[in-house]
This record gives sequence, C-alpha cells and structure tokens, in this order.
Amino acid sequence: MMKLQFDWRSRLSRFRVWALSFRGGITLLCLVGLLLVPLTGREYLARIVITAMILTIFAASWDLLAGFAGQVSFGHAAFFGISGYVTAAFVKFVGAPWFLAIFIGTGWAVVFSLLIGIPCLRLKGPYLALGTLAFALILYNLFLTGTWLGGTEGISALPNIGSVFVEFYIMAAFMVASLIIMRAIVDSRLGTILKAIRDDEVGADAAGINTTVYKLVAFMVSGLFAGISGALFVLDITAVNPAVYQPLYSFYAIIMASIGGIATIYGSIVGSFLFTLLSEFLRPLAAASLLIFATLLILIIRFSEEGVMNPFLEHVRDLWDKIRGR
Amino acid sequence: MGLILEVKNLTKKFGGLTAVNDVNFEVHRGEILGLIGPNGAGKTTLFQLISGFEKPNSGSVRFNGVDITGKRPYQIVNLGLARTFQLVRSFRFLSLLDNISVACLSPRGREAFGEVGIDAAASSILASVGLVDKARLPPVILPHGDLRKLEIGKALGTNPEFLLLDEPFSGLAHEESAGITRLIEQLHEEGVTVFMTGHVLRELMTLVPRVIAMHQGRLIAEGPPKEVASNKIVLEAYLGRGEGFA
Repeated sequence: MMKLQFDWRSRLSRFRVWALSFRGGITLLCLVGLLLVPLTGREYLARIVITAMILTIFAASWDLLAGFAGQVSFGHAAFFGISGYVTAAFVKFVGAPWFLAIFIGTGWAVVFSLLIGIPCLRLKGPYLALGTLAFALILYNLFLTGTWLGGTEGISALPNIGSVFVEFYIMAAFMVASLIIMRAIVDSRLGTILKAIRDDEVGADAAGINTTVYKLVAFMVSGLFAGISGALFVLDITAVNPAVYQPLYSFYAIIMASIGGIATIYGSIVGSFLFTLLSEFLRPLAAASLLIFATLLILIIRFSEEGVMNPFLEHVRDLWDKIRGR
Repeated sequence: MGLILEVKNLTKKFGGLTAVNDVNFEVHRGEILGLIGPNGAGKTTLFQLISGFEKPNSGSVRFNGVDITGKRPYQIVNLGLARTFQLVRSFRFLSLLDNISVACLSPRGREAFGEVGIDAAASSILASVGLVDKARLPPVILPHGDLRKLEIGKALGTNPEFLLLDEPFSGLAHEESAGITRLIEQLHEEGVTVFMTGHVLRELMTLVPRVIAMHQGRLIAEGPPKEVASNKIVLEAYLGRGEGFA
C-alpha cells in the first residue's frame, strides 16, 4: 500500500513539473483549447477540426517512417485507403460496429505494409519513393476499374458514429493516444535503432543490427497508424471511393509533416491544422487558393527547413522569458 | 589459444581487377596482427570480405571454427567479429551515448549487458574510449580524433572477441595516435584479438608483434614487423622497382 501511494505521489509531482515547464504548459493549453472547440457550438468549425485531427495521425505515421526510420514513402495513401475501404465494407456489408471495423481495417493496413515493405526493402531513396508510389497507384487502378466494393462509386451512406460533438471527442481521443504512442516509440530503444538506420544503414549493420527486420517493423507501425487514420477518415465522411488511393493523399501526408517539422511527430499537429484550416478558409478564392498555398509552402521550406513548429516554439519561449524578465 | 580466424584461398574480383587474389592466413586467439601494404593493395577489400560487406568469388573465412563466408554483416558481428571503417561512420543525429547504445542493442550486446544494463554499458564504453564528457553531444561537431575513438567504441558495444580495425590511425596527430595505441593495448590485455591495417608502418611497429604484407591483392610477406619492413619485396611494393633507388 505504502509503495503504491508513493508511486502515485511521484507521478503527480512529475506531472506538475511537466505542466509547469514551457513545453508541458503549451501542450496542456493546446489540449484544453482543442477540447473547448465543440463547446463553441459551431458545427462547421468542429467538422474542420475533426478532419485536421484525423490527418494529424496520417501525417505523423508518415513522419515515423520517413523522419525516424529514413524510409521515404510516396505511397502512404495505400495504407490509408485499404484500411478505409475494409472499415467501410465491414460497417456497410457485415454490419460490424465502427470500433470493431477500425481494428479490422487497421489490421489490413498492417498486412499491406508488409506486402509493400518486403519487396521495397532493397530500394533506397528515390527508388523506394517510386516503389511505394507504384503500389499505391496499382491499388488506385484496381479499385477504380474493378467492380467489387462499389467500383468507381465506392461505398457510401455509412451510419454516423454519433453526433458531431460525440465524434469530435472520439477523434480527439484517437489523435492524442496515437501521437503519444508514436512519440513513445520514437523515444524508445526501438526508436534509437530506427534513427541509427536512418543516419547510416551500413553503420547499423556493422553495429550488429538486423536492418531488414527493423525497417519492416517501421513499415508495420507506420502502416498501423496510417490505417487508423484511414478508418477514422472514412467513418467521418461516411463514404469511401477509389480517390483515397490517389498520390494526392500521400503527398498531403508529406506536406503536412514537412510544414510542421520532419522527425518531430508532434509537428504533424501544427502541419495538418495549418493545412486543413488554411485550405478551408482559402476555399472561396477557388484557383487562387492553390496559388497562395503553394507560395506559403515554398516560403516555409525556403526559410525553415525544420518546419514551423520548433522555430515558432523557440520564439514564443524567448518572448515568455522576456515577459518574466529573465 | 588456437586459431580464431582462418582465411583460405580468398579471392575477390571487381570486373577485370583482382582486388584480393588467393589469400591464405590465420589469426591466433589473443594476438594483435598487423596488415600492411601500399594504397590499393587490397587491405580494405580483405576486411570487407571478412566482415561480410562484400562476398568473395571463391575461398572461405572461418571464425571460431564456423564458416562465415557469405554471411550478412550483422550476423558476423553477432558471432563476435566487429569492425571499424577507414572512413569514420557515425549516426549523425544521435548523441555519442546513443551511438554506442545502438551497438549495445544488437543481440550480442543485449546478451552481454542485459536489457537493464545497456545504458550503463554504453556509458562505461564511452568512458573507456575517453569520450564520456561528450556523451550528450552529436558526432557532427567532434574533431576527427574523437570520431576515431567513437568508431572503436561502437565496435566495442557489440562485445567483440575479435576486432578488425581498418586504418585506426589515419588522419590522426601523433598524440591522438598514442591514445588509440593505448586503447588497443588495453583491449588486447582484456583478451580481444585485434587485426588491424595501416599503410604507415611506424605506428604498427610498436604495437604489433607480427604483420602480414599485401601487394596487388596477394600476400607477399609475413613475420615480425622489423623483418617484414626490411624485406626486399615489401620495399619494392612500397617504393617501386628501381636499381638506383633506396
């Protein structure tokens, strides 16, 4: 009993230290802000934020594979799409409850991450990118020209998983849990090994690391979280069609992760919220919105290779220190 | 005692060039063996073949009686044969401590240090190569001499019985070389077998009781360094054939 109590107290005091630290404070502030969004009663805003949260998981899953394991995939839409399709099919044709369908869909994404990962293992750099892109394109064409699972039309009119407010909190829980798990993975010993493979694959081999196995693990973990986001995406828009396999979706993940900052995991939050909110607010400008967006992207990449999150946080921290007179 | 490494009829061709040509030699357990030869003699290729980074066209390599010819590098490392590279390699964005931890996380490292002992093992290796005060720094900002030490540290993380050191002194100032020499002597006292190259004989002379010399892919001499250094064929290999020379 004593021991349990002691543990609880140390946890609490560690949490207090973290919450009072700069990073902890910002994180809690953002989290509270996020959870308050539905209470504003604006359904439109809540819908956009839901999309941003789902895409955050997707971007972070790409970041885990590319930013930490160094395996740059241009075909992440394959994992996103297959999971979305399987989830939709199980909800629509089998009548499975949504939370079960997510598991099944994600399982398929993991299987596909192995199917794509194994033949692509020998490929490096641009060749790996092209190899993964090719797989996603094959899936796109298979689903576009095939007649199964709704053919070109896809599957639509899935039941809602709840009111927009219920859905908001479910998605928020998925996002927070996914990000914490991914960050824990990259900070773990597994993460150290993945980073070593990214920095120098020959060196990792010489350090006795079976790089093949670890690269496959990275593919599977990344596929798993891309699968979760694909399933949530389909449940959110209550429909799926072959467009989810388009290279465009793969590039969304890359763009969002790059805006936020590659090899950060949490940068994906900043990237996908900026991306989603901006593209929504620029929508009335039609074609001009793309132009503005592309310009912004070029500016971000030109002036901040490490994305916007870390440099921004540093500025805020400097400002904070100045305000407190340090 | 006994043999730890047996190399038999090892041959490697790159197109028309035979980089390693029918090489035979043995390394005894616990010894320090030197490999000398002019640039392009095939020393590095021989190391690549032993450590599994290149596959030979013919011949075999046995380590501790086990045939390791054609095995993948990480498999050979986990049998206890680790190597360093002539051009230093490092995990650029990891701290020095994590650079060593990666090697400690190999199956052989985990077995030696235990899951809970990995951090402690990495720190003590870092201390033994003299980099403990830089544990949190990334390798990119280190001077060349420290990277050489890190290179050896990474190999030690796999708890090797046998170390292949490819040009451990290259690009080092005299004091830095002395540091590496002390480190190698210390490893030797701990029972690690060392097989190292150097194209400059001076550093090897003091450290190594026996050397083998290579030229154009073939072994041309073997013996104590003084004898090999004065061997006529070795001199010709280094300086070229010429009547009025030397």
